[in-house]
Amino acid sequence: MHIFEFIRPTDPAAAIAAAAQSKTAQQGADVRFMGGGTTLIDLMKLNVETPDRVLDINRLSLDKIEDTADGGLKIGATVRNSDLANHPKVQKDYLVLSQAILNGASAQIRNMATVGGNLLQRTRCVYFRDTAMSCNKREPGSGCPAITGHNRTLAILGTSEHCIATNPSDMCVAMAALEATIHVQGSKGSRVVSFGDFHLLPGNTPHRETVLEPGDLITHVTLPPPVVGSKQLYLKLRDRASYEFALASAAVMLTIASGRITHARVALGGVGTKPWRSPEAETALAGKPANDATFRQAAEAALRNAKAQSENKFKIELARRCLTYALKMASMS
Amino acid sequence: MTETSTTSPIGRDTPRVDGPRKVTGLAQYTSDFLFPGMLYGVPVEATIANGKLLALDTVAAEKMPGVRAVFHRANIGRIFRSTPAPGFDRVCEERRPPFEDDVIQYYGQYIALAVADTFEAAKAAADAVRATYAKEKSNVEARLEAGHDPDVVFTTYGPVPREQSKRGDPEGAFASAPVKLDETYVTPAETHNPLELHATTAIWDGTMLTLYDSTQGVVNARSVLAQMFGLPKENVRVISKFLGSGFGGKLYPWTHVPLAAAAARQLGKPVKLVVSRKMMFQSVGHRARTQQRMRLGATREGKLVSLMHDYVYHMSMLGDYHEDCGEATPFHYSVPNLRASFGRARRNIGATADMRGPGAVPGLYATESAMNELADNLKMDPVQLRLLNEPRLDESNGLLFSSRHYVECLNVGAEKFGWAKRNPAIGSMKRDGLTLGWGMAGAAWIAGRFEAAANVQLRDDGTVRVACATQDIGTGTYTILAQLASEKTGVPLDNIEVELGDSALPDGPISGGSLATSSVIPAVFKAADQAIASLLIIAVTTPGSPFLGHKPDDLALEGGRIFVKAEGPGKGVPFGDLLRRANARLVTGSGSAEMTAFAPNPKFSKHSFGCHFVEVTWQAEIARLRVSRVVTVMDAGRILNPLTGRNQIQGAVVMGIGMALFEETIYDPQNGAPINSNLADYMVTVNADAPPIDVTFLDYPDKEINELGARGIGEIGLAGIAAAITDAVHHATGVRVRELPVRIENLLV
Amino acid sequence: MSNDDLKSQPADPTRRKFLLTSGSGVAASLVVGYVPALARDAAGEVDLAPTAEGPNIEGAVPITLRINGREHSLRIDPRTTLLDCIRETVTLTGTKKGCDHGQCGACTVHVNGKRVLSCLNLALMHDGEEITTVEGLGTPDAMHPMQAAFLACDAYQCGYCTSGQIMSAVALLKEPCGTDDASVKELMSGNICRCGAYSNIVAAIQQVRKNV
Repeated sequence: MHIFEFIRPTDPAAAIAAAAQSKTAQQGADVRFMGGGTTLIDLMKLNVETPDRVLDINRLSLDKIEDTADGGLKIGATVRNSDLANHPKVQKDYLVLSQAILNGASAQIRNMATVGGNLLQRTRCVYFRDTAMSCNKREPGSGCPAITGHNRTLAILGTSEHCIATNPSDMCVAMAALEATIHVQGSKGSRVVSFGDFHLLPGNTPHRETVLEPGDLITHVTLPPPVVGSKQLYLKLRDRASYEFALASAAVMLTIASGRITHARVALGGVGTKPWRSPEAETALAGKPANDATFRQAAEAALRNAKAQSENKFKIELARRCLTYALKMASMS
Repeated sequence: MTETSTTSPIGRDTPRVDGPRKVTGLAQYTSDFLFPGMLYGVPVEATIANGKLLALDTVAAEKMPGVRAVFHRANIGRIFRSTPAPGFDRVCEERRPPFEDDVIQYYGQYIALAVADTFEAAKAAADAVRATYAKEKSNVEARLEAGHDPDVVFTTYGPVPREQSKRGDPEGAFASAPVKLDETYVTPAETHNPLELHATTAIWDGTMLTLYDSTQGVVNARSVLAQMFGLPKENVRVISKFLGSGFGGKLYPWTHVPLAAAAARQLGKPVKLVVSRKMMFQSVGHRARTQQRMRLGATREGKLVSLMHDYVYHMSMLGDYHEDCGEATPFHYSVPNLRASFGRARRNIGATADMRGPGAVPGLYATESAMNELADNLKMDPVQLRLLNEPRLDESNGLLFSSRHYVECLNVGAEKFGWAKRNPAIGSMKRDGLTLGWGMAGAAWIAGRFEAAANVQLRDDGTVRVACATQDIGTGTYTILAQLASEKTGVPLDNIEVELGDSALPDGPISGGSLATSSVIPAVFKAADQAIASLLIIAVTTPGSPFLGHKPDDLALEGGRIFVKAEGPGKGVPFGDLLRRANARLVTGSGSAEMTAFAPNPKFSKHSFGCHFVEVTWQAEIARLRVSRVVTVMDAGRILNPLTGRNQIQGAVVMGIGMALFEETIYDPQNGAPINSNLADYMVTVNADAPPIDVTFLDYPDKEINELGARGIGEIGLAGIAAAITDAVHHATGVRVRELPVRIENLLV
Repeated sequence: MSNDDLKSQPADPTRRKFLLTSGSGVAASLVVGYVPALARDAAGEVDLAPTAEGPNIEGAVPITLRINGREHSLRIDPRTTLLDCIRETVTLTGTKKGCDHGQCGACTVHVNGKRVLSCLNLALMHDGEEITTVEGLGTPDAMHPMQAAFLACDAYQCGYCTSGQIMSAVALLKEPCGTDDASVKELMSGNICRCGAYSNIVAAIQQVRKNV
């Protein structure tokens, strides 16, 4: 591990001021905020992350879950995943988020991982994680050995010729479906970013994963007021029964009236280079009868633009089945 | 079936005597031993799989704070080769010592070693070493071809000809067989992944070398390291008190062991070297990838007429390890015409090595899968096919089996599982909206003994100490030795001290081959008998002894008391009292027994047998496959501790689920690295994957093995399970997967 | 017989626990030049001070860790993980390193009563927090009910994952968890047991839950 200075800022402003000195907030940042450490320490051990300064933000009182004035929920950036998943309001009104989190990682990691950290979770692509390998995300321009190598678990949506790395988060898939808003404080003040705008597609710049700039501190996430009568489900498919990243997952929210779908939100995980909201699927569902044919059509629509690599063609059909079944089970719930 | 008294600890469910230490964190594994001034070593790994190391830049690393040295070829000092010896001595799979040359033969080969005051500093220094290579194209091709193989390969258990078993005219009989099967089965490279990382702490004191080492064989490790450092064996001591398992990967020393020793020698301080999980995929062995062509010919009634098992396995450029897939093939079923033969494919990979059930486990996956497919072709029940081909004797050598109850295994297993209710039609069985698949397969594993010695002490406080330089790899050897000593002396387990895992003790067997338990029994019993004989001499000679005037033969020891046989144990005297009267702290007896496994002229064919019946659930709409139920029946001799024994078999089945559905070491085609070298990408079974596993032991003693009729059971539970699972998968889905592991993509049709 | 055995050994031999030597003491004297491992005190710690010259750590920072109710004032390299600090600096080696990357669960400890992976934590992050390791749960003579259940149910083989399993199991008692085996299995899936003693691990946990 690269040697670093460990700093515990006393307030967010000090943290932001210290972080603003970093050259970048993206890959290669020389100042990093430390939340649960589950991603950052892992990558620091691998020398994928080599910050000179580590800012411990765990004692900045960003760990509250509060109701918002409009009936939504405000979730502090250092709220632990397990606290969020087990929060009564989340379990009642945002079940898909609770399920997504509880399907991720292990109980220990969920006790450590923070909401803010989970928004910034890095890909599990084995080439990204090994500094002996080339990787456009880690070292822009060095090449992508995954495209001609081991890519079974990698992305089929949102890929580019430079990067096919999957976003591994479960929580983010639910937040994409829930249309969460991310609140950021930076050296130029605070701003809000809608969930769909937060993560970037790899394109020609796979090292840029989010819109964050140096000094930007995620302070909290807000969820809009719950959709009345929304049937929610998170379904995750993987090789083993637990403690594994998704091969395909789906977060779905359906409101059904008189057998017709009046409101639908769909996001996919394990298949996209970012948490994959699917407006195509939502369009295919809106106003349609809640039946198997509609669900399958939505799944077809969601995967229409999928592009397989040498080892992961199966993920297209797996994701279709995942979404079809999630919609079916949600509609019956 | 037991002949011992009702108070005997043999055959009883016995909680582990070392358990209190394990559950409180006090059991000390190799890396838990700490020493004043101890330094930390972290190796530098080659990042090419084939080529030459041209230059090493260690300047930056050496300047880092806390760094004591960066060792490499020029400054490590002499490390000699360890050369093969007859039998199970001086065994190691990578004979080339670390840093002997600059030729890179596999990805992750050690090219330097950073040593520092702390682990953090050593790791940072290792990461800062820069290497320049002349890289050559590496070959890690998965498809295997037989190379220019020797006619005979030499293994630890003797020479094996390339055509390792042959009888009759297998080609001719196959050609004319009315029903045929010709399929190729593939098992991937698998990595042992014991949860304990390999670790060595080396300490020099003059010319004495002490190694705390995570080894399954302290005696062998002593021989290997003595030769590598040019020392007499007496100057090397190897200690392995608790072992976080090994599954074969820790049987013999790997290159990090001499590296730690050499660094400690150069620096004059204890050096601890813990191999990383990533290195565990590179430099400490793995189970070979195999490609096995099976040809079975049978009559329409299902009688086998020909069996050909021709297999190829991959191996490293340096190694000579033989993956003996044909081990169980020649004797498992009755067939007049048979051939088992092998070929080898060299690859730029780390050495292949024994892994739990070496040879037989991948071999039986192929042979048992072929039997299941043949049963399909015959439209016959797979249990019935096996019953129909049960041999009367070992047809490979004409010997009777010492104890074979395979038919009973099949019948008991079928009964317990409810096999009679199986509807053979694909996908026909349902429960709770899930499709069920039922499959089965047989199992076999070697039986016999290694050479072993032990000593037993009876002490004046009424306690007993039993010692042997074998190890407890997690199989419960500490407890077995306590049970054996208790059986002989009548002293309760609480008052028995067991010492293992130290080469200073009487030479004991490796914890391997499922042979440790069977091997130590006669040695411990003889040692106990000798100690008791000494005690009885004291009894008849010590002034003031109530037994003066008797002959030793008149006396006996039972329940910890000496008594006159004619008078019965009622008037006995605790042996501690007698020793105190004689002012003797203790009496010691020694015992040893010879190796019988792999002996040249056996009288019997000795093997364990068993079978697995498996249920899987299949949910096609989300392509979800789970193993839901397993029934396993084992004919593995007399079981000394059913509590730990059942656990062993259940654990092997859990590993078998991994073998069937999850595990594969994948080599990157571009740079030859094992690319999924971590426990998130190389998946093993987790708790949620483990189904209820019903284990039955037939418990027939095999008196050809030892006086208790006990065989070891560490490996047989893994034999056959993958074939049973793939058979169940076929029954549920209609898909025959012949290349492990079964993956979602195989079934998503 | 090791020093700690001698210390903890009651006078009455019939009440004595199974003795397991750890490589020092009597047996150690068999070979000249053998360097014995240091003895552990009642809290399971080793005193490295008498002969250790103290590691040369440039840029070391002070930290106070509260482990099993004991305060440890240390100077450590900022890079030190909580796991390595507990094992190598504080010398409590019951907590194990199995992967060092959050993929196996062997390093599970409690921080402020919750189970976490000590390999993915920096020690510095836990200055002043309440840390519990397996040594803090019980001793061979006074086991925590979960430790006793693991012993009785044979919920281990090699024992290397056991500390982590037990720390997870004890934490699970206070977590939302269904009563059925499947719920326990899911919540215990972050602790890999390569020996595969999962059935017995679940049995041990369920036994304790029934009695709580």
